[in-house]
Amino acid sequence: MNGVFVKKEINDGIRVFVNSTDKFKTITVKVFVHQSLREETVTKTALIPFVLKRGCEFMPTSQEITTYLENLYGAGFDVDIIKKGERQIIEFDMDVVNDKFLPPNTEGLLEKGLQALKEIMMNPLLENGGFNKTYFEQEKDVLLRNIKDLFNNKRAYAVERCFQEMCRDERFSLYKYGKEEDLEDLDPVKLYDYYDEMLKHNPIDVFVMGDVDVEKVFETAEKMFKYPRGNIKAIPPTLVDKKVEKEKTVIEKQKVNQGKLSLGLRTYTVYGDDDYYPLLVCNGILGGGVHSKLFQNVREKASLAYYVFSRIEKLKGVMVIASGIEFKDYDKTLDITKKQISDLKNGVISDYEMSATKKMIISSLKEVADNPMATINLYLDGVIAGKIEEIDDMIKNIEKVTKQEVVEAANKLKLDTVYFLTQE
Amino acid sequence: MKERIVSKVLDNGLSVFLMRKKGYNKKFAIYATHYGSIDNEFVIPGEEKPIKVPDGIAHFLEHKLFEEEYGSVMDRFAEQGASSNAYTNYTTTAYLFSCTDRFYENLDLLIDFVQKPYFTKENVEKEKGIIEQEIRMYLDDPGWRVFMNLLKALYHKHPVRIDIAGSVESIRQIDMDTLYKCYETFYNPENMVLFAVGDFDEAEALNKIESNFKKRKYEVHGKIKRFYPEEPKEIYKTKIVENLSVSEPLFHMGFKDTDVGYDGSKLLKKDITTRILLDMILGRSSKLYRQLYEEGLIDDRFSLDYEGQKDYGFCVIGGPTRDPEMLHDRILKGLEEYKVKGLNKEDYERNKKKMIGNYIKGFNSPEFIATTFISYHFKNINILQYLEYLNIITFKDVEERFSSFLDPKYHSYSVILPDEK
Repeated sequence: MNGVFVKKEINDGIRVFVNSTDKFKTITVKVFVHQSLREETVTKTALIPFVLKRGCEFMPTSQEITTYLENLYGAGFDVDIIKKGERQIIEFDMDVVNDKFLPPNTEGLLEKGLQALKEIMMNPLLENGGFNKTYFEQEKDVLLRNIKDLFNNKRAYAVERCFQEMCRDERFSLYKYGKEEDLEDLDPVKLYDYYDEMLKHNPIDVFVMGDVDVEKVFETAEKMFKYPRGNIKAIPPTLVDKKVEKEKTVIEKQKVNQGKLSLGLRTYTVYGDDDYYPLLVCNGILGGGVHSKLFQNVREKASLAYYVFSRIEKLKGVMVIASGIEFKDYDKTLDITKKQISDLKNGVISDYEMSATKKMIISSLKEVADNPMATINLYLDGVIAGKIEEIDDMIKNIEKVTKQEVVEAANKLKLDTVYFLTQE
Repeated sequence: MKERIVSKVLDNGLSVFLMRKKGYNKKFAIYATHYGSIDNEFVIPGEEKPIKVPDGIAHFLEHKLFEEEYGSVMDRFAEQGASSNAYTNYTTTAYLFSCTDRFYENLDLLIDFVQKPYFTKENVEKEKGIIEQEIRMYLDDPGWRVFMNLLKALYHKHPVRIDIAGSVESIRQIDMDTLYKCYETFYNPENMVLFAVGDFDEAEALNKIESNFKKRKYEVHGKIKRFYPEEPKEIYKTKIVENLSVSEPLFHMGFKDTDVGYDGSKLLKKDITTRILLDMILGRSSKLYRQLYEEGLIDDRFSLDYEGQKDYGFCVIGGPTRDPEMLHDRILKGLEEYKVKGLNKEDYERNKKKMIGNYIKGFNSPEFIATTFISYHFKNINILQYLEYLNIITFKDVEERFSSFLDPKYHSYSVILPDEK
C-alpha cells in the first residue's frame, strides 16, 4: 500500500513532500514553482519552460540533455505550464526506473536524474546576463505555435472559449500559455531576471514518490535547492464569488463538421469549503459518467450526442457542461441540458444516481493511489487550497454526503454563459 | 520483475491470462475478439460463400453489445461500482472495465454481456444518431484526418485505408441481421482472449471464469475465413492534401512495409528493430531531429510510430509544421545522408537502454499492461518476451532493417492546410 506524504520545509518557502512506497517500478519527482496568473506576466512565465528545456550550462543543447536522460534508461523529463485556479505554475517533471529492476551494476539513476533536473532548473545557458538569445528567439516561435494549437482541438477549444467569455474580467480567462501580442515585447535579459526573481521569492513545492529513504531525500533536496531565498511572495487567492449579472450567449462560427455546445456555470464552491464534497457528487450526478443525467438524457434517450459531460474546476468554483451535436440541435440540446440542472435543483435524484455516483468517485480516488503522477497532482490541489487530506479522508467525506446536501450545492449553481461553436 | 502471468486455454478455446499486481487498488479486465474494422469480408460459419458487410460494422457492434434486454450494461457496471468501456481498432474489438470492489461480479458481468447480444430494429436505428456524431467529431480532428489520409495514400485496396467507424453513409446501411451475422462469426471464444490484472488470487479468478463458461455451449468453428483484397507493394498515391479549420499545417509521412506476411516472434523482432531504427534516425536525441528543430520545421509535438501487423505494416512520422513541403524534403535528404554515412552504434546502445526503461515503466499501469498484451496476443506474440528479444537484437539487425525499410520509393505523405480565409 501507499505511504503518506511526509513534509519538510528545507529552505525559505520550499516545501518537500516525500511518499515512500515500494509499489511502483519508478521514482517520480515533481517540482512546482508557483506564480500568480496575471495579465502582465502570463506570457513571460509561459515562455520559461520552453527556453529551459533547450539547454543548461552543463548540457548546452537539448540533444545533450536527451542523450543524458536516455542513458539513464529513458528517464522521463519535461518542463511545462499548468494552470490551477488563478495560479500559473511551472512544473518540472521526472520519473526514473528504480535501479533494482535494471541489470546489475546500474545504480544512482535517481541521483543522476536529480542532478540533471537541478542543472536545467537552476543553471540555464546564459549569455550577456540573459537567456541564450538564439534559444529565446526560437522558443518564442514555439510558444506562439502552442498558443495557437488550442484552435486545432475543437473540443478543448470550445471549453476554453466558454471560460474565457464567462470570466472576461477575471484573471482565470487567461490561457496558460499566454497571449500572442505579448511576445514581441519580451527580452532575454529581462526574462532571465524575472525567472531569477521567481526562484528567489516564489513558493516552491517538491514531491517525490517511490521506493526512497525519506531522510535521504530531504538531505538531497537541501543540497539541491541552495538557491538564495527570502521575502517569499504570497500568491493571491482566486476570485470565486463573482455575481452573474445577466446570462450571456456567445455564438462563434468556423468551418467545422460538428457543433460544440459549452455551458459555463458558477458553483461558488471550491476545494476546502464545507460543501465541496456535495458539489463533487452533484457534478457526478449531472454529468460525471455514463450513469449521469446528461449522458442518459442527451445521449441515450435523445441520441443527440456522442460525448456529453460536466466537469468542475475545483480551485475556481466554475463548472462546464460540454457536448458535440448537430448544428440544428442547438435548442433541443440546450433545453434538455437545462432541464437536467433544474431537476437536480428540485431534488429529482434517484437512489441509483446517488449511489452509482458515490461509487464512481470513490473508485476513481482509490485508483489515483495506483498512479504516482495523479497522486501528486491531487495532493498539490490540497497544498494550494490549504487543506491537506489523505485519500482515505476524501473517501469518508464522499460517503457522508446526503441527498439534501447535493440539492443545496445544486441550488448554488448559476448559469453564466452559453457558448456555441457552429458552422459558417 | 515480480509480475507473473497465469494462463490457460479453456475447453471452448478461450485464452485466459491473469496477472497479479500486489498492492494495487485498481482491478482491470479486458475481453477482446480478434475482429476489427478490416474484417469486412468473411465466411459465416456453416455457409460457403463469403459476404461483404458495410464499413464500420465492427465498431457499430461494439456500441450495440452494451445494450441488453434489461437495459444498459454500462449502468449495471456503474451500479456495481465499476466503469466500463470498449474500443475498436483495425484488428480488435475490446470490452473492458476497471473497479476497486466487487471484482468477480464485474468479471461475470463482462463475460455475460459480451456473450449475449441483444439487437432490435429500434435499438439499432437509435444508435445511428450517436455514431454519426462520433464520426463527425473525428471529421473535425486534424490529427485523425491527417493520419487517415496517409493510409489512403499508402494503400490501394487494403481496408486499413477505411475509417474504423465507417462513414455517415455506410453506417446507415447497417441492420440487425447483419450485426447478428458478424456476431456469430467473430464472438466465439476460440477467437477471443480475456486478460485481467490486479490484486486478486489468480486461481480463484480462473475458477470463476471457468464456471461462468460452463453454463454456455459453443460449437467449434475452426479458423475463420477472412478475405482481404490483394494489396500491391507499391503506394497508391504520393500525397494527399486536405483543408481544415486549423492554425498551422499538419504533416504526416509514412513508409509502407514491404516485408510482411508473418507474425509471431519474427514479427516481434521486426517491430522492436524498427522502433529502434526510427528513434536512432529521428528521435529526440538524433542529429536530424536537432537540425529540423533548429530550422523551425518541427517542435516537441513531432512524433514517430510503427504499426506492424501480419499482413501490413507502416510507420508514421510527423507533426505540425510551418512548411510541409520543406519538411518532407529535409526528411528524405536526412535519410539519404544516414544511408551514406551509416548508423551510429552509440545511438543504438542508448536507444536500447531507453526502451528497456520504458518497458519496465509500463508495468506501473495495469491498463497499459492489459491493452498491450492483447494487441500483441492477436499477432501470436507474448509481449512478456519483449526484454528477451530486445537483448537478442543486434546493431547489425538494425542496419539490415534500414537497408530495406524506409525506401523513398515506398513512401507517401499527407498534409492538412489551414482553410483560406
